[in-house]
Amino acid sequence: MNRYALTVAILGALVLALAILSLAAGPAGIGVIQGLSDMLHGRETIAATIIGQIRLPRMILALLIGGTLGLSGAALQGLVRNPLADPGVLGISGCGALGAVLVFYTGVSALWAPALPLAALSGAGLATLLLLALTRGGTLVLVLAGAALGSMSAALLALTLNLVPSPYASYEIMHWLMGSLSHASLHDVLIAAPGLLIGSVLLFSTARSLDALTLGEDVAQTMGFPLRAVQWRVVLGTALAVGSGVAVAGGIGFVGLVMPHLLRPLAGARPSRLLLPSALGGAALLLAADLFVRLPVSGAELQLGVVTSLIGTPVFFWQVWRLRGRPV
Amino acid sequence: MILQTDTISLTLQGNRLLNDIALDVRPGEVLGLIGPNGAGKSTLLRIMAGLLRPETGRVLLDGQDLFTMPPEQRGRHLAYLPQEAPAAVGMSVRDVVTLGRLPHRRTASAEQDATAVQQALDAVGMSAFADRSSARLSGGERARVLLARALAVQAPILLADEPVAALDPAQALTVMDLFGQCAVQGQAVAVVLHDLALAARFCTRIAVMSQGRLVSIGTPAEVLTDTLFAEVYGVAVRRCGEVAVPWSLVSSTRRP
Repeated sequence: MNRYALTVAILGALVLALAILSLAAGPAGIGVIQGLSDMLHGRETIAATIIGQIRLPRMILALLIGGTLGLSGAALQGLVRNPLADPGVLGISGCGALGAVLVFYTGVSALWAPALPLAALSGAGLATLLLLALTRGGTLVLVLAGAALGSMSAALLALTLNLVPSPYASYEIMHWLMGSLSHASLHDVLIAAPGLLIGSVLLFSTARSLDALTLGEDVAQTMGFPLRAVQWRVVLGTALAVGSGVAVAGGIGFVGLVMPHLLRPLAGARPSRLLLPSALGGAALLLAADLFVRLPVSGAELQLGVVTSLIGTPVFFWQVWRLRGRPV
Repeated sequence: MILQTDTISLTLQGNRLLNDIALDVRPGEVLGLIGPNGAGKSTLLRIMAGLLRPETGRVLLDGQDLFTMPPEQRGRHLAYLPQEAPAAVGMSVRDVVTLGRLPHRRTASAEQDATAVQQALDAVGMSAFADRSSARLSGGERARVLLARALAVQAPILLADEPVAALDPAQALTVMDLFGQCAVQGQAVAVVLHDLALAARFCTRIAVMSQGRLVSIGTPAEVLTDTLFAEVYGVAVRRCGEVAVPWSLVSSTRRP
């Protein structure tokens, strides 16, 4: 078994173990197998309700959102050929959150439920398009554009919070902005899963094109991989994946930055080889972080986005440290 | 396969870059594209590679319009080596060369791919470095690896934009010799060159461009005349009668 296959196998086993642990962990001491079996046989026991309504949606969302965040980080890094590309760092998640908050604040989402994910998708999609238009300016311009987008979305989110009529609504928005799966429901899974899955398919479909792009846009094009086609698939895939994730779980940052960075030495430098490991790694990271926030540490439950950011920022610093002194 | 430009013209931002260029690259020949800076050589090569659409005229590959051909098919027929390539991320030399097989991913077997990659590595003399990281290569080695990537496509048409500009004389000779071998094996090769001595020695035919026009095309002896040096390049030459460099540049004929 070569190193790539071994990496994928270990990550896959890790995701499976964490997923089972995620179903088992919680204050109510119930049997996972019993609960799953009750649920599948339609028996309305307490165990079936807790597994089916609370823990299973939470596990599925952590798995899918973590996976797509890792995947979109790897695909974005391959597309712009820059290890700092990440939906959170580049402001894509922030713009998605802004879209969702605007719909939430104006009450549109209460009238028509799909408006929330659609608004988050649009925010994330517009941000990705703008960034792509600016990638030709090189690394410096890309990172600055990401910082500008992030600041803009943060400012507009703060303004919205400022204008929210009731403290309860502002608490709700704050809570959600920090990123959390603690209120995940089956309804959330149904809202987010289509976007997360279609987005993943689109992102995985860029594998060969991303490999070709390592030789530059011109060579990739002469080998039969037009740049526009790859760009559109990455933009749509990222917008669908990040937007859907943000719509149900709020802003969860840095997964897409951390995973490709950690896995590149194991998976090799070919961008196509990084997609699957990054997706598995992202799923494992978010499942683990979501288990961690459930630990009764300080009484109050930590927010998921806070934990991933605390893990991610040191990696971000490390990347910047490695890039120092290089021409931009 | 014959690559043909059918009276192509191009204007970008008000500048007439190419004017009614009609030429062809035939199997078994190395066609040199020469001319002063800004003559339109690289632009023409980019159009021939399908990277830029001409404003008028067509590019034909065995009579078929290059721009209506499916991208994947075009990728198998035509290999392009740009003047500058991005620093390949830490892939191994073999991985970089293997990328040249991407256009064949649905048509070739793993053995065919491996053979093509090994032949390309052997051709540029980089087999011993196959497992080294491409980040740890000198400029000349990197240029040879990128050339091997283009060779691994095994395309009937090979287009190279100033492939020897960054190479020392010995490596430049090796690379030009390699293009000659490609032609002998039946490929049609077009190369943008600045070094007229190399052009004279290695090209079957030379196309001279100046200010977006095709000034002259023919064998080196027909094309590289004293008049051409004076009119196109603005330099006077002295003939030395040697084989490789039959002239030396003595003065500029342009007024400052």
